[in-house]
Amino acid sequence: MLPSSEHTIGPFFPQTFFREGDNDLRRITADAAPSTRGETITIHGVVLKADGVACVNMVLEAWQADAAGRFNHEADPEAHLADPDFLGWGRAWTDAEGRYAFTTLLPGGYVEGNQTRAPHINLSIMGAGLMRIARTTLFFPQGDNAADPIFALVPAPLQGRLVAQPDGPGRYRFDIILHGGAETPFFQD
Amino acid sequence: MAERFDPWPEGIQPHVPIAGYPNTFSHTPSAPLIHRPATRTERAAPARLSQKLLCGDDNLAVIAPGRIAQGQLIHISGRVLDEDGRGVPHAVVELWQANAGGRYRHPIDTRDAPLDPDFIGNGRVLTDAAGRYGFFTIRPGAYPVPVPQTWWRPPHVHFSVLGPASLSRLVTQMYFPGDPLNALDRILQSVPDPAARARLVAAMVPPVEVGLGWLAYRFDIGLRGRAATPELL
Ligand SMILES: [Fe+3]
Repeated sequence: MLPSSEHTIGPFFPQTFFREGDNDLRRITADAAPSTRGETITIHGVVLKADGVACVNMVLEAWQADAAGRFNHEADPEAHLADPDFLGWGRAWTDAEGRYAFTTLLPGGYVEGNQTRAPHINLSIMGAGLMRIARTTLFFPQGDNAADPIFALVPAPLQGRLVAQPDGPGRYRFDIILHGGAETPFFQD
Repeated sequence: MAERFDPWPEGIQPHVPIAGYPNTFSHTPSAPLIHRPATRTERAAPARLSQKLLCGDDNLAVIAPGRIAQGQLIHISGRVLDEDGRGVPHAVVELWQANAGGRYRHPIDTRDAPLDPDFIGNGRVLTDAAGRYGFFTIRPGAYPVPVPQTWWRPPHVHFSVLGPASLSRLVTQMYFPGDPLNALDRILQSVPDPAARARLVAAMVPPVEVGLGWLAYRFDIGLRGRAATPELL
């Protein structure tokens, strides 16, 4: 079957779908203890639309490798070594000021084919007015981003927009600008 | 597992921004999207996500024994399929919708239409080994979009599907066959290919499989990815 068309998630994605801990990538279930195999970090920021206006009720999903750079998925040849207590996925939504936050472990880098991936987190942004999922990737200032093949696809003047900024111990800030001025680079997969 | 992710075929993805729908101008990125290959991150997705997103809530119409939502009782079922037409097992399927009066039970839906105390309007299930899913619910009402050049959203049901790869993540909507508002809906009509639009419209089916109480619709959902699931025995 051909893929179904994407549509906007709309303004009314149920808040009752969100549960405590959904924005904590370290937990495989709502009740599970968070994985401790890595450095716990917070990723936070705002989602803005044109003219710097905050986006309310945007849905964000984060996806990343574990602290050793492995995915518990067949796409990873070392899936059997992945941290069994780490989910690597989380969902958050923005508040009235457009703010979101995730708690996770600092992802590891890894070798894929003959290339080295720098530590990164893939972010999907959904919301009213976004007919398609906006997909971007967050990198870290301490990573070897220059060697990362996806980072290298981004025009050099824009690469800095994909690097989260240190914001206190274990905290990184990553603002997402959907449209205008310092617009975040987005990918077509 | 997924071996291949082809680019989106022409005409399936909505054309944006959409005239008369101001939010698509303020939210849609203005720079061209950067094409990237499917790396391991995009090919992978969380394992056992149904432990995190609890599934099994498939009846929106009956909130408790004897408490039945107002409206036309319907059953929506179908399969989640990959691009080879094979069922996608263990996909998380989320559904949400307005009530029969066209109002969502959501704090930011402040429209002056009645709330139904017996209708919350969302559910989440896991597809079975053949990729099948099903929900008992009611036919939602139409509602107006509060923009200067207003239009009415046809009755529709929102779907969010989390499949075996990040690339198969899909958010879409289902429409009802024969509704005159379908042809006027700026969101549905933003999909250029008529065949792709038609795939977003459910088909009516004889209600034999769900009994006499429910008007039945069938709605199959296509996810990106070829050879994305094991062969069925
Ligand atoms: Fe809607």
